[in-house]
Amino acid sequence: MTADPGETKAGTAGAGTTDLTLDATVAAADVPPAILAQSLGQYMRSWWLRVRSGNSGVLPVVLAMVLVAVVFEIVTPEHAFLRPSNLVYIFGLSTVYMVLAMAETLVLLLAEVDLSVGAVALIGGVIAFKLVQQPGPNWPWWLAVLASLAICGAIGALQGSLTALLRVPSFVATLAGFLLFSGVLIIVLGGADTTVSLNTAVENQNIIYDMVQGLIPPVVAWIILAVVVVAAAASQWLRLAARRRRGLSTPPLSLIAIRIGLMAVLGAAVVIVCSVNRGSSLRSVTGIPWVIPIVLVLCAAWTLVLQRTRFGRYMYATGGNPEAARRAGINIAAIRIWAFGLCSATAALGGILLGSFFYGEYSSNTADPGQLVLYTVAAAVIGGVSLFGGRGKAVHGVLGGLLIGGIAYGVSLLNLGSLSTPLQYILPGGVLLVAVLIDVSSRRGAVA
Amino acid sequence: MTADPSQTPAPTAGATTADLTLDPEVAAADVPPALVAGSLGQYVRASWLQVRSGNSGVLPVVLGLVVVAIAFQIANSKFLSAQNLVNLLEQSTVYMLLAMAEIFALLLGEIDLSVGLVMGLGSVVVAELVQPSGANWPWWAAIIVTLLACAGVGAIQGTLVARLRMPSFIVTLGGLLIMEGVAIIVLGGSLVGIGNTQYGNENALYDIFYGSFTPVVGWVLLVVLVAAAGAGMWLRDARKRRRGLVAAPRSLTVLKIALIAVAGAAVVVVCNINRAHSGVIEGIPYILPIVLIVLGACTVLLQRTRFGRYVYAIGGSAEAAQRAGVRLASIRTWCFVLASVISGIAGVLFASWQVSLTTNIIKASNTYVLLAVAAAVIGGTSLFGGRGKTIHGVLGGLVIGGIYNGLYLLGVSSQWIEVLVAAVLLTAALIDVLSRRGAPDRT
Repeated sequence: MTADPGETKAGTAGAGTTDLTLDATVAAADVPPAILAQSLGQYMRSWWLRVRSGNSGVLPVVLAMVLVAVVFEIVTPEHAFLRPSNLVYIFGLSTVYMVLAMAETLVLLLAEVDLSVGAVALIGGVIAFKLVQQPGPNWPWWLAVLASLAICGAIGALQGSLTALLRVPSFVATLAGFLLFSGVLIIVLGGADTTVSLNTAVENQNIIYDMVQGLIPPVVAWIILAVVVVAAAASQWLRLAARRRRGLSTPPLSLIAIRIGLMAVLGAAVVIVCSVNRGSSLRSVTGIPWVIPIVLVLCAAWTLVLQRTRFGRYMYATGGNPEAARRAGINIAAIRIWAFGLCSATAALGGILLGSFFYGEYSSNTADPGQLVLYTVAAAVIGGVSLFGGRGKAVHGVLGGLLIGGIAYGVSLLNLGSLSTPLQYILPGGVLLVAVLIDVSSRRGAVA
Repeated sequence: MTADPSQTPAPTAGATTADLTLDPEVAAADVPPALVAGSLGQYVRASWLQVRSGNSGVLPVVLGLVVVAIAFQIANSKFLSAQNLVNLLEQSTVYMLLAMAEIFALLLGEIDLSVGLVMGLGSVVVAELVQPSGANWPWWAAIIVTLLACAGVGAIQGTLVARLRMPSFIVTLGGLLIMEGVAIIVLGGSLVGIGNTQYGNENALYDIFYGSFTPVVGWVLLVVLVAAAGAGMWLRDARKRRRGLVAAPRSLTVLKIALIAVAGAAVVVVCNINRAHSGVIEGIPYILPIVLIVLGACTVLLQRTRFGRYVYAIGGSAEAAQRAGVRLASIRTWCFVLASVISGIAGVLFASWQVSLTTNIIKASNTYVLLAVAAAVIGGTSLFGGRGKTIHGVLGGLVIGGIYNGLYLLGVSSQWIEVLVAAVLLTAALIDVLSRRGAPDRT
């Protein structure tokens, strides 16, 4: 292998056919930079090539987050946006968008859309809350959560079958689903005026309440962070060694070191922010909300499934070119049904976390399912998931959700705490349009 | 023309090519029965052929209407009372208008998810403009400016879809979010109403939904309508025959005119019955002719003009239309403009219907888009573009209005109504998908 980046593509990228290598730039843009680069400098160069060719990954959303943070820090009264207490609150507020956007990503990857995620998420939350009621089913919390995920997964698979087997366009099937499940939600809830709440005195219900509201003490958080960083470093190192042993190309060591370092720094920043006292001098509130590790684990799980399993590869293949995937022997109908099912199951988890965020209370006013789905699609696309299938990762959903939540909260700060202002609608709508514009034009710029 | 139906299609249908005539059934199913039929009997046979080949037109929705009417009448004898029928018609007008708006997007194979909020925005703008304490414009100027504003919204969305090729459902999704905010800004955070009858301009808006013609004027209007429609159809056929073109059989034209007269007379009779609990409320509500005018204008635009033919051409195959020289971008943009203008008309009606507008009503206006899509698809418009007529929107809107009205009469709670409407939408979409499969593949 030579050190000239212009030549390495054809040699190293095993999948690159003669057609692609005609244009070295095009080929480079199609292959992850980590595979091509031998040194950090080369990595940066090929990464930049990819960004320029429209495959910018998380870069736009990270820049947008920085922009949003800076702008709101300047314009909010008393420059309160970046206070630790607000940052922690933003994460809680964004949870539902992050989880739902990860769910939506699964469907968007197939170039389909699920407009029912909002309603399904709320149904999932209400089911779990109903199942742990003490005068009532009184199921153990984990069984209630599993049941909620299973029921919503079945709902999703049903909608997926309409799309996959009967070829009803997904936005119509799920539009009907949205309407249907918005009605079912009220029925499951037991009437429009009913409230289902968790009793925090009961340990079983308190666990669900604590999913967002519960805190990990700073000391424990530091220990967890150290363990995670060491584990990540070890696994990266082992993978590297395994690849090298088998004679495969490996990313430069410096790159891995930087990645692990970045992870440690970011993790430490989160722990430090969360360790600042957010309560009063009389009653101190410190620690990391449980929801942060929950979201991270969920993101890691979906990243693993999508990037490292055969199912994940089939998802990308089906989304990229269904006909080619079908001819390669992939059962695309099954993949589609699974994607819709997993999307709805993930959404159910989002619904449960949403109820926990609202202090363990569920009513028909907790969230508007229509608004939820708009924010969800917006979050996923803003995060960098393509509407046209085949491009997107779980982390895009997380970042996009965080951005939407940040905007929502920043706007509410401007408006003296009210979460219902005109900007609440206009900003996400505008950001969504800009994100799609970027998506559309980058797809044009990319290889057809 | 021969009397044998199996032979007529090829020689008479001018547009059919050699390929299509290979199979007379396919050819017959592709050509409007009015063109191939020499007599009424042939027309009926050709229509049936069309229905069987998946091109069923308004038949399913008319059957659906009958089923809805019979079922609810059995469940509650008040359903078909004059009072409730007029009520139902009035409630359905908003669905009908929005469905007609949506059809312009659906015909292209696109979708406009913002029609509900364009309506909401339009209603707020028109109500704000006639406020005596505010702009205090004359009502007609307020309506014109509202429709222009809505046209502007449509032009922006249409441009994004047509010129930048952004997916329409996401453009209109972002658009509706933005409009929700704009509508709340226009509303100014408080309530705006048009219910104060001592102000002429507010009263004029109020009367759009709640005012009626006197019974005599209703009959006069009907006579004028039937005469105009009849003369139009008759003269067109006569002109065609004079030029040696194929025209529908005379008996068919007479039958159509008679059908319009009977249906119109039935509506007038029902509307002229006093429907007030106390006092007198009778006559045709103003909104009925408004819907009919929009229906007529859209039908002429889509069926009789070059623009309309281009819309169907794009919906059938955008690639083919482009190669035939159709300027896709401008036709697409205009369709979105028209959809938004018709939604704006619905907005004026909506303001009149609701009388006072609040933030919550604006938010609720968003749900109407689902009903609009449902109404259009139930009416027989295809989701895949190229197939549908504005009359489908009116009929589908009537079905949706009937279901809402009937279930409401029965005291069914709103969530079950939502469930039922969703089921109807799914069924309609399934019929659409399956009938497209059964139809001859023209691509």
